[in-house]
Amino acid sequence: MRLITTYFLVFLITVIQAFSNKSHTNNWAVLVDTSRFWFNYRHVANVLSIYRSVKRLGIPDSQIILMIADDMACNPRNPRPATVFNNADQHINVYGDDVEVDYRGYEVTVENFVRLLTGRLPPGTPRSKQLLSDEGSNVLIYLTGHGGDGFLKFQDSEEITSQEMADALEQMWQKQRYNEIFFMIDTCQAASMYERFYSPNILAVGSSLVGEDSLSHHVDSSIGVYIIDRYTYYALEFLEKVNPQSDRSLSEFLKVCPKSVCISTVGVRKDLYNRDPSRVPITDFFGSVRPIDILHDITNVTLVQRKRAKSKKPKAKPKKYMYVDPLVNFNSLNV
Amino acid sequence: MKLAPLDITSNIDNTITKYTNVKSTKILRTLQLFIKMSVKIRAAYTNSISTSRIIFTCLAAVIVRYYLMLSKYQTVIANHVEVSTPLNSWKRVSEGLYLISKNINPYEGDVLHETPLSLYLYKNILLVFQDRIHLAFITFDVATAIILFFTTKKFNWDLFVEEENNKETFAKDAVECFLKPEKLFKSSYYVLLTYLFNPFTLFSCVGYSTTVFYNFYLAVMMFCMVHGISVICGIFLALAASVSFYPVVLILPVTMYFKYAIKSNFKIIINLFSFITTSVLIMLMCTDFGKDFSYIRNVYGCILTVPDLQPNIGLFWYFFTEMFEHFRELFIYAFQINNTILYLVPISLRFRKHPFLLTVAINFIITIFKSYPSVGDVGFVLSVVPSFPHLFPFSQQGFLVGTMLIISTSLAPILYYLWIYCNSANANFYFGVTLSFAVAQIFLLTDLLFSQVKRDYMLKYGKNRKIDGEEGILCLE
Amino acid sequence: MIYSLTFLIILANYGSVFCYEGSIDEELLIKPLQSNQVYAHFQFSTKWDIDPEKETFRHSSLFPRPIGELIQRFDIQELHVTLTGGLWRYEKWGYPVVDAATGAEVLAWFKPGSDVDTNWKLLANSLSGLFCASLNFIDDLNTIKPEFSFRPRGVVDSKFINSSHVRYANLPHEIVCTENLTPWKKLLPCDSKTGLASLLNSGHIHNTRYHSVGLHLRPVCRDKSCESLSLELQQTVSLVYDYLILGTKNWSLRKLFGQGVNRKCVLVNKSDIYVDTTLTDVELEPAPDKTVTSIRGGQTTVLQKYEVTNTFLNIYAKYQNADVVPLNLPPPLHANQYLSGYGQERGGIVTKIYNNHWKELDVVLLQNIPWFIPIYLHTLKVVSNGKELKPLQLRYIPARQRIRPNYLEVLLRLPARTSTSVVIDFDYVFLKWQEYPPDANFGFHIGSAVISCYLPVAKNYTAVPWDMTLISDSFNASRNGYLVEIRTENLIITLPTPDFSMPYNVICLACTVVALAFGPLHNITTRKLILKSNKKVQLVEKIKKLLNSLSKTKEE
Repeated sequence: MRLITTYFLVFLITVIQAFSNKSHTNNWAVLVDTSRFWFNYRHVANVLSIYRSVKRLGIPDSQIILMIADDMACNPRNPRPATVFNNADQHINVYGDDVEVDYRGYEVTVENFVRLLTGRLPPGTPRSKQLLSDEGSNVLIYLTGHGGDGFLKFQDSEEITSQEMADALEQMWQKQRYNEIFFMIDTCQAASMYERFYSPNILAVGSSLVGEDSLSHHVDSSIGVYIIDRYTYYALEFLEKVNPQSDRSLSEFLKVCPKSVCISTVGVRKDLYNRDPSRVPITDFFGSVRPIDILHDITNVTLVQRKRAKSKKPKAKPKKYMYVDPLVNFNSLNV
Repeated sequence: MKLAPLDITSNIDNTITKYTNVKSTKILRTLQLFIKMSVKIRAAYTNSISTSRIIFTCLAAVIVRYYLMLSKYQTVIANHVEVSTPLNSWKRVSEGLYLISKNINPYEGDVLHETPLSLYLYKNILLVFQDRIHLAFITFDVATAIILFFTTKKFNWDLFVEEENNKETFAKDAVECFLKPEKLFKSSYYVLLTYLFNPFTLFSCVGYSTTVFYNFYLAVMMFCMVHGISVICGIFLALAASVSFYPVVLILPVTMYFKYAIKSNFKIIINLFSFITTSVLIMLMCTDFGKDFSYIRNVYGCILTVPDLQPNIGLFWYFFTEMFEHFRELFIYAFQINNTILYLVPISLRFRKHPFLLTVAINFIITIFKSYPSVGDVGFVLSVVPSFPHLFPFSQQGFLVGTMLIISTSLAPILYYLWIYCNSANANFYFGVTLSFAVAQIFLLTDLLFSQVKRDYMLKYGKNRKIDGEEGILCLE
Repeated sequence: MIYSLTFLIILANYGSVFCYEGSIDEELLIKPLQSNQVYAHFQFSTKWDIDPEKETFRHSSLFPRPIGELIQRFDIQELHVTLTGGLWRYEKWGYPVVDAATGAEVLAWFKPGSDVDTNWKLLANSLSGLFCASLNFIDDLNTIKPEFSFRPRGVVDSKFINSSHVRYANLPHEIVCTENLTPWKKLLPCDSKTGLASLLNSGHIHNTRYHSVGLHLRPVCRDKSCESLSLELQQTVSLVYDYLILGTKNWSLRKLFGQGVNRKCVLVNKSDIYVDTTLTDVELEPAPDKTVTSIRGGQTTVLQKYEVTNTFLNIYAKYQNADVVPLNLPPPLHANQYLSGYGQERGGIVTKIYNNHWKELDVVLLQNIPWFIPIYLHTLKVVSNGKELKPLQLRYIPARQRIRPNYLEVLLRLPARTSTSVVIDFDYVFLKWQEYPPDANFGFHIGSAVISCYLPVAKNYTAVPWDMTLISDSFNASRNGYLVEIRTENLIITLPTPDFSMPYNVICLACTVVALAFGPLHNITTRKLILKSNKKVQLVEKIKKLLNSLSKTKEE
């Protein structure tokens, strides 16, 4: 029995190794919503839809950086608190019960985004806010919001240009912080954001070409605003049918949302990507690969003794502890 | 004798001052009226200013200020940003004095921007006047006016004397531009009148702005400069410089005055010496003999680095509100250099023969470009301008400056109200008005200086503008 | 299998076998309030019998490890973090078990001898990562060291308290949503799978008028002799449901939380639900296990106790007289805060404190006012029913722009049955354009004031006494006084904004004005007035002149 299991495990390992690129060891996702205000509800719904898919397909919260610029779920204008729907029929609450937002509100700025990507964060930044990717990481970057020709607007007060985006990704490459990047952007004139990229191993897809606007899908009359964008709606439809073991390829994903339903043309940039998208499984970016290695050797582990001075003095006499008065005594003060 | 008319004037002046020194009782007032009447008859001949007229003007000013200070408009005027800036607001002085009384260091926070010496002065004023501090402000204001009157009187006299002595060097047909005694000697009365009744200084006084004291120091400094009292000149210059940093640059025009008008190198040295000594003494007193340097950050740090961006009539506030952070330091340096030393040496060299005009011009530059100007500063400078009646025939932009000043002054409070209270205008409107106000002042300054240049040319070369029998044009090359 | 076993044996030889000493209890208090609301308060108390000073926090079994790491790394003695949405209305609802201001509040006492400022900043950053909240915005700009309010609630070894070891900050703008609840739930021993924590469903608990999530850590006495310490961690959730939102006055656990309690968490010692039936005539289904009467500070409370077991439990309350509205008597002390004045030039902050008690009360008013609101201390006026009151003590540290906030603490003796207003004036300042948030016209928040008082009566009072841990310990726990720390409303002021689209324009215009001065002055100083010929030069002459000058330059 044990022999059979060992053979099966070995077979599985070889399959996994053949299926995936040898250099890809872990998955990260950076999902950013850059819009503030209630009428941009759909951008929050966009990013939460992708978050939900990515989490469902296996990437743990500790490897997802979620940036949401405004609070829609617990917004006083939300008729159903703690929920964000991406469909007027309210099938799925994309906000969920165990969401962890890493950057929220005023923290979503261009500076924080670029620092996150390049890893130059101030000391003391908690781990959940750092992108701790390495040279074996496949990083999924998803941006949504309002954009224009060559820029993406952050919170209505600043913008990131396509050149800055390209430079940030180049820094990531120089610091060996990614193996491959799948860059998705759902804004107006999205293709202008990836035009300036010059680092290798980046596959980029945008929801519209330069000169085109990305459109939203439908209005939920009980909320009163558009609740999802077309591209993400159809992308989510595709991703809902994917499970961690499926073998749908990336090229199928790139064809989601044809012009007839999306009205804008989905743009793809493949020249920086050296693999054939039709042979790359979608779970390479949206799921999480956890390679399993079986050890046969015994490892000796020694615990490091923390150098706390163990006093050789005789046992000190017990201290007497007390509770203080809850409030200062007014009469005792020098009035 | 060339100086006969003036002799008579000074005689009458002496008689009147002998008999009408006190200005309180009714009997004396009627006496003054009588004398004034008789003097009026002689005024046509002697062209002098009677003391009673001065006293009347001062009384009227006192009454106007008193009435306004005790009316409900006092708080309205005091709250206007044109009148009280973070540097001269009486509310902040009260806050500072209150904090001192509670044993909290007033320089811990960012509210107070007055030196400890000024605070000491205000504390004593409050002790003496108690509830009636308006009397203190009125006293200082009227005193400033009177000191300016005597300053400009002496200046005009010196000017007339100098011109009389240099009459031979002038061109033959420049008679028209010669100083006319009747106009010239009346000008100091117009200075007094302008200072007492121009709305800028009036509102500055009524609004309890400490610019009143600053103007007093400047006036005394100018008085001593004109009269050649170098020690007190240095002392008051140091006092003015301690309150607001910018008068430091006035040391150069004052030196020029002592060199070219008073013509005494010894007095220059005495002046410099007293200025430096007083500054050091003030610093020692303010830091409590080396114990507490915190006031430097609050006073000079605020003036030089402009942390407080409250709207005022200057150019700094909106500029540094909208400035990008990494360029801020560069532009702070640029603006402060522009204000202080950029024009100092060139203008001083160019106008070294006219040191009083030079002093006024440098003071004017400071007022336009300082970091927290208020209408009190503008009023002071404007009131000295009438002491140059000989330059008015050459000025070209009087109407423009006048209309710009009137329009900006009346628009400013309206647009501020619309922006802050009605939420219908925005900051740009008020900024536009401050820009036009600054431009009006700049035009006035350049006009004044250019008139002096033109007058010098006229005196030297005469009115003739013909080259080879044809009309030529005057231009700067 | 064999290998893993050997691995374990080896580890066992080197490591120490770790036992958990302490207790974990969870309680839920449900109290219908006098005005159509239901108050539900969860308390999860973890008591760990170790010496906080000697413990390395490297092994933790039921005590959450992230908290242990925080204590060890930042030398924390006591920590209180609350995240609240909604306002607690004291005049209608009485006093909550735990007071919390709207937004985020962090209060920490550090061990003597540690670098408090650095540790505080790093603590704020770590908490922001732990709770998914923007607590990293806590820094010197909004931190104060209160002297009289916020005494240590845990045990100390000397009566002398050094207020330089405490730090308090509040962020009024923080929102509380599922993303804060998720990591909070993960700190519980049973997570949210069993026990009372399974009731915390975000869709239901955020549909409330008031919801507050808190974490309170302090050292306590292990036993009566108090010679050794324990570490106590309390995780609290306070909720106020409105009958209008529920749809009916007859509440049940399913209506409130979406489900009943499935099973008891095996790691927990006590798991109890208390329903307060003092003021209401209500029929509970199923019948309670026990009825508890608590007489505390002169007030009698009747509570029905349910013990959670491994069977499913859903409590259903049916009101007998649904049309009867009980009389609403305000508590002895409550307060409001509001802004006075109009326009965006100057205004005032008014804190109105109502003393409904028949005796005078001593209160400490703490205000933490941001640096961009310069207040004038000489305008501070305390007026009580028309008469001016002099504060007993005053502590004031003025703000420094962009460095620290205003800290004002006033000690007052409020006369009986009066309403006292504490008024202070301030100016509206103009900030640099980058200092405005992206939604600048929303305004800036001023945090709530904190009014601390040691009440002599326990009217509407539910808090746990200081030397006790559990809600059940508060029954019949009469003391000399009962501490309340009332929070007031947060304020929003709209500061005057510049035009954000104008930086280049402003720079150009201002520099133009400067140039307007520079030009003429430069001309006057560097050029002389000369007379030039006015003759109109003929074209032929012009060409001749040009040729001449060209030939001249050629020669040169």
